[in-house]
Order: sequence, then C-alpha cells, then structure tokens
Amino acid sequence: MQKRGTQVASLVVSATAGAILMTVSGTAMVFAQSGIPEGFKKGELAPPPSPEMIEAGKRVYFTKCVWCHGVDGAGDGPAADRLWPRPRNFNQGTFKIRLTASGELPLFDAKKPIPGQNDLFDTVTHGLPGSAMPPWEGILTEEQRLQVLAFVTTQLVKDRSFTDKQSETQTVLNLAELKPKPATEESIKRGAELVVEKKCIECHGVEGRGDGNAFNLKDDWGFSIQPANWHKCWNFRGSRQDPYNVANIFRTFSTGINGTPMPSFADSTTIDERWDIANFVNSLCERDAKGNPLSIDPLTDKPKIDFVIPSNPVEGEIPADIEHEAWKNTPRRYVAMGGQITHKPRNFVNRIDDIWVRSLYNEKSIAYLLEWDDRTKSVAEGKLPWAPTEVNIDIEEQPPVTGEEGSIAAKQNNYPVYNDAIAIETPVKWQELPAPIKPRYLFGTNEQFPVDIVKWEADGSIRAFKGTGWDKDFEERDSYEEYLKVLKSEWKNGRWYVLIERPLGNKKEQDYDEDTFFEVGKYIPTVFFAWDGHNGDAGRKMAVSAFYYTFMNPPIPQETYIYPVLIAFGVVFLEGWVLTRRANKKKGKTL
Amino acid sequence: MKALMSLGALVGVVGLLLLAGMVFDIIPSTTVRLVEGYMPMQMLFEVGCFVLGFTGLSYMLNAVGMGIPRFWQGIGFWVFFLLYIKYRIYPPIPFSVRAMYGTVALVAVLMWLSSNEEDWKKFKQPILNVLDAQTGFNKFLRYVYLVALPILTWGFSYNAMMPKSEEPIELRTVHPAPPASTKVHGKTYVLQTALNPYRVNPEGKYDQEYTNSLIVEQGMGRLMKPNANPWDENATGYLKYVREGGEIFFQNCHFCHGDNLNGRGLHAFAFNPIPANFTDPGTIAQLQETFIFWRVAKGGMGLPNEGFPWASVMPPWEQHLTVDEMWKVILFEYWHTGYYPRTWD
Repeated sequence: MQKRGTQVASLVVSATAGAILMTVSGTAMVFAQSGIPEGFKKGELAPPPSPEMIEAGKRVYFTKCVWCHGVDGAGDGPAADRLWPRPRNFNQGTFKIRLTASGELPLFDAKKPIPGQNDLFDTVTHGLPGSAMPPWEGILTEEQRLQVLAFVTTQLVKDRSFTDKQSETQTVLNLAELKPKPATEESIKRGAELVVEKKCIECHGVEGRGDGNAFNLKDDWGFSIQPANWHKCWNFRGSRQDPYNVANIFRTFSTGINGTPMPSFADSTTIDERWDIANFVNSLCERDAKGNPLSIDPLTDKPKIDFVIPSNPVEGEIPADIEHEAWKNTPRRYVAMGGQITHKPRNFVNRIDDIWVRSLYNEKSIAYLLEWDDRTKSVAEGKLPWAPTEVNIDIEEQPPVTGEEGSIAAKQNNYPVYNDAIAIETPVKWQELPAPIKPRYLFGTNEQFPVDIVKWEADGSIRAFKGTGWDKDFEERDSYEEYLKVLKSEWKNGRWYVLIERPLGNKKEQDYDEDTFFEVGKYIPTVFFAWDGHNGDAGRKMAVSAFYYTFMNPPIPQETYIYPVLIAFGVVFLEGWVLTRRANKKKGKTL
Repeated sequence: MKALMSLGALVGVVGLLLLAGMVFDIIPSTTVRLVEGYMPMQMLFEVGCFVLGFTGLSYMLNAVGMGIPRFWQGIGFWVFFLLYIKYRIYPPIPFSVRAMYGTVALVAVLMWLSSNEEDWKKFKQPILNVLDAQTGFNKFLRYVYLVALPILTWGFSYNAMMPKSEEPIELRTVHPAPPASTKVHGKTYVLQTALNPYRVNPEGKYDQEYTNSLIVEQGMGRLMKPNANPWDENATGYLKYVREGGEIFFQNCHFCHGDNLNGRGLHAFAFNPIPANFTDPGTIAQLQETFIFWRVAKGGMGLPNEGFPWASVMPPWEQHLTVDEMWKVILFEYWHTGYYPRTWD
C-alpha cells in the first residue's frame, strides 16, 4: 500500500489527473480494510515453477525476448530506445493487463495454461496490440510460453516475488462467472452518463478519442503515456485479439492498469455500472455502415483493408456538410498508416495509424473527406524555418542507442510543434505508365514519372506540388492552387475532419502535364501522407499509406441491361437444340 | 478393411464438422490453425485427409445400403473443393486463381468419373433421365431446368456486367533476377563470389559448416542451441557477430519484418504487400546470402521493373547502415530463422 502510494504520488503531474488518482488511491485504502470489492474473490499464489522450466525458459528468452526486454529484463534491449511504448521493464513486477486487483501481481501459474486464468500466459499468447509485442501463439508452443514466463517471473522480476505469501496477495476478478449485461440502448446510455460522472472523459476525452490531458500523463517509469482511444479497440493492449469483446473492457476498468494513471474502479462502481460503461466504450469502437464490428485481419489484428476507395457521383455542388446524405451514402475506407521508415529522418513512432477516407465527385471536381484521430491540434507558432516546398529539412532522426533519457519514449512530450497536415498523392499521367509501373510511393520517381501532391496544413493552407523523387524538393504549382478548395477543416475532440476538393483535370485551362486527370471508371493510384505536429512531424518525418486506388463509380451503362437478356435468350435456344437433338437421336435408335 | 474404412469415415465426418463450424463461426475460426510457412503442404494434406475421409464415408454408406450415386458424389466433391479453397485458405486468393483451381478440380473429377465405362454411364444416367423425361418427376425437373437456367444465366451475366470496384490484381515477381554485381558504399561486390565476412570459424576463415552448426534449431519456436547463446558474455566470433546483427535488426528492421522475422512488425499492417516473412521457407532459405545483400543494400528502389519498385517500402539500407552492419544483419537473419543460405554449387 505504502509503495503504491509513492508510485501514485510520482504520477501526479496535472491537477485534474492528480485529483482523480488521489480519490481512487483513497478508496483503495478503504477496500484493504473492508474486504473484497464486488465481483472479486480471494485467490492463491501459484506454486513456484520447477528449476528445469526456468532453465528451459532462459533459452526461449535469449532467443526471442532479450532483443527488446534486455539481458536483465529491464526493458532496455537493443530495440528499446526506438520504441514507444518502451518494452516492459520486468524488474519492478509491474504488469498492466491483469485480472487481479490494482497493485497486485498478475495471475501466473506455470502449470495452468488456461485462457482467462493466467494473465501473463494470455499476454504472451495474444500479444499487446498497439505496441511492438506480437502474439506468440503459433510461434512458441504452449510449453515454451510457460517456460519463458517461469524464467521472467522468477529471475527478472526483482523487486517482488510471485511466491512470497507474506508480501503478496491475490484478489481475482471473477470474470468467468460474471455474465455481461446485454448492450441495450439503455445500458449504453447509462454508460455514457457514467463516463462523465466517473471523470473518465477527463483523460479519455469528451468523445473518447484519448485526447483529454493527452500529454501530461506519465507512467511509473517516467515516460509519457496516452489515454486509450476508445474508437480503436483493436489497439487496446488488453484486447486479447478479440477487440469487440466487452469483457476485456470490463476487466481493464475493474482492475486498472498497473504502472499507469489508469486506476481500478472496482471500489467506486458496482458491477452493473461497470458493464454499462464497458458497453458504452465498446459501442464507440468503429463499426461498418450496418453497425457491425469491422472484420479484423487475423494476420495483423487490425481491420481488414480494402484498397479501393470508391467515389460516388453527385449532381451539382459537392456538399460541404459532412452530415449530408451524399456523404452518408458513400462508403468509407480504412486507410492504414505506417511510419515513414524508408528514408531519413525515419519516423519510428507514428501517432497517426489510420485515416478514414470517403470521396464524391461531380462533373468538374473530386472531393476527399479525410477523418483521422489526432489527440492534439497542432499549429506551429510563428513561421516555419523552411519553405513549404523543401523536402530535405533538418529534422533529427532518433539515434539507435541513447539510453532511457534520450529514448524516443522520453522525448514524446518535448518535440517542437509543427503543423498537423495531410496530403494526397496521385501519379501524373497514370494512364501512360507502362502496365506494372507506378511512381514510387514516396514523392514520385523522377521527371519522367512525377506525382501530383495536394497538401493541406493545419495553418489553413492548401498547396499543390509536383514531386519528382524522395530527395528532390517539391516544385510548387502556384497556378493550380486557386482551383483547390478546402470545404471543411475542423479539429474536434481528438479528430480532424478535412474535406478537400480538387478539379478532375484534363480541362483546357488546367495543365494536363502537371496534374492528375481523374477518369471515371479507372483505378487511379492514390497515396496518403499524414503529419502529427506534436510528434515533431515535418518533411519526410510522417506517416504513409500504401498505394490505394481512387475509383470513380461510373453511371451504369446501358449494355448492362441489354446483354444479359440476349444471353438468356441464347440459353433458351441452346436448350431447345439439345432437347431436339436428344429426341431425334432416340427416335433414330428406336426406329 | 472395414475398420480402416470406418476410421476414414470418422476422419471425414469430424473434418467436415470442424470445417463447417469454422466457416460458420460456430467454433472459433482459429481452431485448426494454418501453420505459418507450411500452408501449401498443409492444404494438400488436409484435402488428402478429406478424400480419404470421403472414401471411407462412401464405403460405410454403401455398406448400410445408403450409398450416394456417383453423380452426386462427383458434384458434391467438386462443390466441397470450391468451398474449401474459398473459405479455408487465408489470406484469401483472388477469384481468377480460384477459378483456375476449380477448373482443374472439375477436370480431375470428370477423369475420376470416366475412369471406366460403367462409372461414366452411371454418371451420365441421371442427366439423360431428365432429358428423356420418362417419369412425372423427371418431367417436372426438366421444366424447372428449362426455366431456371436462362434466369440464372441472366442473373450471373447481369452481375458480372455491373460496374464493380474490385482491387485490380497485380502479380509481382517476389525474387526478381539479381544483377551480376552491385556497388555499395563505393565498392563493387560480385554476387557470385562475394562472401559474408562474418560467417567465420574461430580461426577467422569463411566456414559455412561451422556457422550452420550454431544456428537456431528448426522446429516449433526455433530456439537457439543450448550451448550457442549469442548473449553469452564470453561469446566470440560468429556468435558475437550474430548478436551485433540482431541489435541492428532490432533497431532498424523489426518495425516491418517483426520480432520473429515473420513480416508482422509494428508497421507491417499498413503496407501492401506485407513485408517478407523470413521464417517462410520460400524467402531467405531459397536465396544466396549475396542476393540478400543486394536486396538489403538497394531496397525497394533498386528492384528491377518486374519486382515493382513502387510496391516496396524497403529502404535502400546503404542510406542507413554500413556494409559491415548489413552483413551482420544478414548473418543474424539466417541464425534466427535456422536456415542455411543457399550456395552457388
């Protein structure tokens, strides 16, 4: 208790967060005296693993784990300094995803690999989405996973002991026996009220995008930590590869996340309230147009990707109101974003990991509606030290080895703030490229295969560039900029809504040699770039997508109605022919 | 014989139930996992099991007098195969490829059905019966077909002609032909003769046999040999270089190629195609070390046209790493996956 008190004290970095934490640690004191919180039961520490298991686990650890978690398990392996979140430091025995009460050690029994009863085993099996920890199921056998955990819990956890009954207790959330409350409208509504009442929104933001207090929170190790974005449940660390399962949220809410400002609400809420909140949080996670969970790609544990962005035709002006029916009826696409880690300065930690894209077109223009979650609105103060066209700007890349103080995790709070920005890149003259060739995804290939880049920045500017190579400065297309329109750009509660309209091209007044011509019914290669100003993103330090395709849905051609009818008649004739032939043949036989 | 066939029937029924359960999400679709890197073999094995199972099943049904006519057996197996390749294989394969497999399977089924005259007659009989329409039921069937076939054809062709926006298929050469030599950091490396300077025995001589004896063991987990820990403080020579290579890998490469070198890194989900899986026997295990050196040094930009430079975000690592660092990373990749680099002879 004492220990947690000091840990908590070290976390108090902002007045609001501090206030919540103090209340919670205060209530934690009460429960220690009064017994077990609702939904929990007393548990037993598991027997220690055998020395053979520990020895075998060492071999697994030094093949697979040491590279991030380090020789001594201090989370300082060779990969650590370029990772955020940093790999877990095992020494303190602080583990995040647990069924045990706040502050307690997680469940681990080297002889019981039962899902839902062995926290550390589940973590190794399913990984921690949104971090570099992969699922090890299918790579390590069950036995090997238990062995490595036997090694970690006995040899690398140094400040606490998984077998010391004097100092450790186990109070276990009885999740298997608690039946989830059906996610009725009423339950979700109550959950929505409760997240306000319980002050969840002070960290997680009004819409739950993790944008409240985003950069004032620190974990036990002193690194900046961001509240979860409830709209991306596939990134929940505790999602156990089952992101739309409400029980995972219920568990995290009940037990808290050790080592972070996320407290346990076991004492301040009833079970019923916790299900309501879990149902509400779960209801916020992105869903498809029919309200069903997105299908998750088992290879990546992220939503499945459709690389075609369909654009629907509209009559007249493209609506600037994103609530307009035309926007509602056009399908939206999940565009996955990775860090630009091809050329210097590489962006090892990209805070923008997806964009939702919709598109509409009319006879003159095509519009893209881009929505992406960004916890901070970033607009650079004063003038940027480089011209908008400059590509080779002086931004430092995170060095490979720095030690904790200089690590990428330690820097998260301290970047100079540049503009949030987004860009759409399309090849110029894509029709003329020989079949497999496209320009390189990053700012084009050369003068022969240039790209057309439209970039919007949070200072309100919209610019058109020509890109001729990853290391070549952009060429500005001044005359084109007057044709570009930003129909909407708004940052609200952790999300950007940007609506960009541009000409379809191939008109006399626009230069076809420099601009992409958007042709109906054709696959137009499209790449998206995104910059998070608070991540120090500028120039090539950015998030990138793969090549997607913009496809402008053509009106249905007449042939679609005529030909099938003709074919059907053909089949009728064919049938007649077969039957006649068969009848004649039979007649011939009998004759 | 009977026992054998009952066993076959049992395998068939259990397999079918499992498959159906997984397709319809009654049981978790991960119940029988596809083993990474062995998918084609596993597919063949599974289909083989099903064929055996069906044989047993058919035998058993015949034995109890409920045999299924050849006609329906043929059609049933073909439909089963189509559904199998559609729902079982992950990541899904495009329709055009499935159509090819389906056609091959159809030919195989027809060959099986026509393997002797009697079987072929048995197969044809139901079709001819409907055409001749001697009984009331067959007459009814014939009219149903007469009406249904044109309607179905109309539906399919209408569907096919509706403008759709499916991702165009772009087949790409995974291992494009390498150049004869490559120039990295001012020095020319001839791919046929260049050697990894860190693949050495304790005497400091290039030695594949020695280094191959210290790599990770094949089999689940691919764990290191118990007496060959690169993290041992006293590790020298090859094992020390492996550790250094690993450090470089985990500072630079794991973001895409993953902590287990299986192409499932932190950023992998955003890219198309997803990064190379080194644990797959079809990647580095198939290639010479110098080929990897060329690919690492020149990255996606250095690919020839058939390898589609634009579809790769692989950095030209000569921008970030020294020649020594690249050789060490390659050393590590072979160590960690437990594969031998292919040699020229």
